[in-house]
Amino acid sequence: MAHIALEGISKSFGKVQALRNIDLTVRDREFFVLFGPAGAGKTTILKTVAGIEFPDAGLVRFDDEVVNLVEPALRNVSMVFENYALYPHMTVYDNIASPMRSPLYRKDEAVIKQEVQKVADMMGIGSLLERLPSQLSNGQRQRTALGRCLVRSPRVFLMDEPLAHLDAKLRHLMRTELKSMQAEFDTTTIYVTHDYTEAMSLSDRVAIINLGEIVQIGSSDEIYYTPRNEFVAKLVGEPEINLVDVDLVSREGTLCAVFAGTDRCLPVNDDVAGVLSHSTIPKWRMGIRGLNVGYCFTEEENCVEGSVYNLEPIGNKAILTIKVGESLFQAVAPNDLRAELDSPIYLKLDMNNALFFNGETGDFVVRHNQAELVRGR
Amino acid sequence: MKNSPMEALARNSMLILWTIFALFPLFWMLVISFKSDAQMFNTTFVFDPTLENYQEVLIKTDYFKYFLDNIIVSGGAVIVSILVGVPAAYSLARFNFRGKEDLAFTILSFKFAPEILVVLPLFLIYQKIGLYDTYIGLIWVYQLITLPLLVWVLRGYFEDISVEVEQAAQLDGYKWYQIFFRILLPLVKPGLVASALLAFIFAWNSFTFPLLLSGFKIMPVTVASLRYIASDTVHYGQMAVAAVVTATPEVILAILIQKHLVRGLSFGAVKG
Amino acid sequence: MARLTLKNVFKRYRNKKNEAADYAVNDFSLSCDDGEFVGILGPSGCGKTTTLRMVAGLEEITRGDIYIGDTLINNLHPKDRNIGLAFEDYALYPPLNVYENIAFNLSAKGVAREEIDRRVREIAPLMKVDDLLEMKPAGLSGGQKQRVNIARALVRNPLVLLLDEPLSHLDGKMRQILRTEIKRIHNKIKCTTVLVTHDQLEAMSLADRIAIMNDGKLQQFGTPLEVYDNPVNVFVAGFIGEPPMNLMKVSILEESGKLFFLFPKKGIRVAVPSRYRSALRSGMEVTLGVRPTDIFISSDDGTGSEVTVDVFENLGDEKRISIDVGEEDFLTLMTEDERRYKKGEKIHLRFHEEKTHIFDPETGDRIQA
Repeated sequence: MAHIALEGISKSFGKVQALRNIDLTVRDREFFVLFGPAGAGKTTILKTVAGIEFPDAGLVRFDDEVVNLVEPALRNVSMVFENYALYPHMTVYDNIASPMRSPLYRKDEAVIKQEVQKVADMMGIGSLLERLPSQLSNGQRQRTALGRCLVRSPRVFLMDEPLAHLDAKLRHLMRTELKSMQAEFDTTTIYVTHDYTEAMSLSDRVAIINLGEIVQIGSSDEIYYTPRNEFVAKLVGEPEINLVDVDLVSREGTLCAVFAGTDRCLPVNDDVAGVLSHSTIPKWRMGIRGLNVGYCFTEEENCVEGSVYNLEPIGNKAILTIKVGESLFQAVAPNDLRAELDSPIYLKLDMNNALFFNGETGDFVVRHNQAELVRGR
Repeated sequence: MKNSPMEALARNSMLILWTIFALFPLFWMLVISFKSDAQMFNTTFVFDPTLENYQEVLIKTDYFKYFLDNIIVSGGAVIVSILVGVPAAYSLARFNFRGKEDLAFTILSFKFAPEILVVLPLFLIYQKIGLYDTYIGLIWVYQLITLPLLVWVLRGYFEDISVEVEQAAQLDGYKWYQIFFRILLPLVKPGLVASALLAFIFAWNSFTFPLLLSGFKIMPVTVASLRYIASDTVHYGQMAVAAVVTATPEVILAILIQKHLVRGLSFGAVKG
Repeated sequence: MARLTLKNVFKRYRNKKNEAADYAVNDFSLSCDDGEFVGILGPSGCGKTTTLRMVAGLEEITRGDIYIGDTLINNLHPKDRNIGLAFEDYALYPPLNVYENIAFNLSAKGVAREEIDRRVREIAPLMKVDDLLEMKPAGLSGGQKQRVNIARALVRNPLVLLLDEPLSHLDGKMRQILRTEIKRIHNKIKCTTVLVTHDQLEAMSLADRIAIMNDGKLQQFGTPLEVYDNPVNVFVAGFIGEPPMNLMKVSILEESGKLFFLFPKKGIRVAVPSRYRSALRSGMEVTLGVRPTDIFISSDDGTGSEVTVDVFENLGDEKRISIDVGEEDFLTLMTEDERRYKKGEKIHLRFHEEKTHIFDPETGDRIQA
């Protein structure tokens, strides 16, 4: 158990700058998720904490003690690697037992046996202990790697995409299991993923990483309701958030969002209008999630006319794509919806959930009910 | 794939033919080692077998001394190659440094140069610095034969082990030498054993280097065989005995390790 | 454009010892209407690609008949079948530019140059490759290559278009864009199309009807909604849908005249929908199947089943609750309300009566009410 701080960490591999001036603090016993697209630098941050990559600049602190010069073995961390990194010549049992046989963390063989059995049962691999890694499926290897990580009580668990190579069903199950075990860990954990559902589900807090920089740190609610910029907004949610250029016009005293190719006025909420009308930003973009895009087949107030671009039933719901002018909107619809492609349809946006971004920089500006959504939960 | 009896017959006949072709020289060598000089040229398979040649070579000359010399020189060369080659292969596989590929190629290129080309300058140098006709001198020059093989095979093995496996072991709390002996060595063992044995055989068979760089105090069996060419006559029988005895360890080794050899020298053995 | 009909098609490979192996495709029948988009869906090794290759003529048919329209095509050479084929790996000719790649087949057939040009220029904007015509394949992105590939298949006006995992090499965003485009093009040209895929999402979103295969056998053939709502067996039920259907072994318990599903390890019981009354008896073991979206949290009025929340996940767009029922898998449900649940909290569950399925635990077949 420890709190961990990174201060101004930078790292280059040859000409590629992998990390730029990373500052973050992970609280004691926190489940902290590093989330971002492939190649963002998440794994490098994790390895820097582990001590198996050395930062070019910056400090790594464990409980305020600078550990830059402490060997990885002495940092007392436990890690799951994305490619499992199991010892190919050792059985599952010996792999899991390995940390407890090293000179630093040595335990009795009797204790080891008990601990290995316990963690193996927890991971559902209790019957595979005599097998070699080459005789396991990917899912079983992943569980072995997790078992080897969890068998110790280190100061911090480091997990690098531990569910990435599993098929959808197993990933779903393992995510739920991890979440269910979380309370028992009671240990600071840093978890790397590129899957937003893992980030949302498991995290106490999330750091979103892109191109070696931290874009946003916050709770999953903050990330979801008030993404720092369009990049973050697009990263979270399925289907991807709809982003459209809008003009803000005042009509009869109410501020309206009007988007390209239409003259329909969508009144924005008062609290949002308050912020927007005082802003000097020349160009705006509005983001709205598929869940908040409604539709109807007859014209109603505040509806925008468009046409059905695509309709994809995907099981429990359907993704309805509506074309308005040159923009495409994706809406979540019931799975039994029937509609001819290119037939007329009306778009109905839930302006309570509209996000407003600076059209030039892509930075988030405001949304309705902002303070309450993030703080009140 | 179809497999009719005719095809099977044809395939097996080919294999038998090849086997005869490949083994006949060995067989012939064995045969003449039992022939007396008198019967050497006027008999083929029917003759009076005699152990005379064996007595002559094994008891009346220093043949065992030559045999021992060969073991010391070849074995020593392989041990030195392992001590130098394993760390070298590891560095070439793991670290990025300037001129890495050039260095790796240079090591491989030791095998390109014809031995006869390098041996003459070496002869002069060895004479000057006193390495001529010493064990150390031969072991040293044998590195040209054994080291490239070991380095290139083992480099492939080390490259196949993901860095993360070593890092995992570090985080498990092991020291570097423990990681080396507990994790890395077991994983490269098939390649190490196979390439070391192959290197040993190459060193054992070496002829040019010991012929020119030694000859009085130290004489490996390959060179010693020449002694049976006297000024007046060639003792084919005795030469054959020397050859048989020289070849025996190799044949035994090859039979023992052949499975190992094929698997060990094909890379990718630690996948999964 | 034409109907495509497969009648009792079998495929058997021979192994190295010349023995007949198991059927790769086993008594497969399928009828694809004129202009219809049919998806063949199954896990890898289920025989779906073999089936497609038999239609294309790249694989011999062991037994059975394949018709395009009214023509039996079993013995027709692939080039005479009038089929357009787009493979998973793009297989474009690297030295030719995009225009020449699309035109290649037509020029090989000796179609007049003006006609080729007219057709290429017609199909290129449809697949949005009209800006790329002068480029070489090496300079194209994965999505662009697959567009060219499909354009090449479509340019000969085939009777049937076959697509073999056309999107599996693409990244998520590109996959979604191309999926939409394939659907729109199909809607425009209405060419009879067969899509082979292992991705249920792809099959559901594109196809008019889906044929689900496993172990060489057809499991179910129906519209996306039919296979989603009325799976014929456990395999189909588990394969279709994300998050996957809850499939759990339960026993039937009768108490004061009422039937319950009983999760034996935790003693949780859930009322059996009344339509199953006649099919079930106390003490029977069945596999219960219910989708996470078809379980509701009810108020505590005594009708629901009390369970304990084990995991609550807020995924932003949706929220999931998982309940440990003592089986290998969790019982998962999705909630739409804004409420956040806590681990250990007691809730009451109700299953959607019409959408609760039961399966025979031996055969895996659905037990009808």
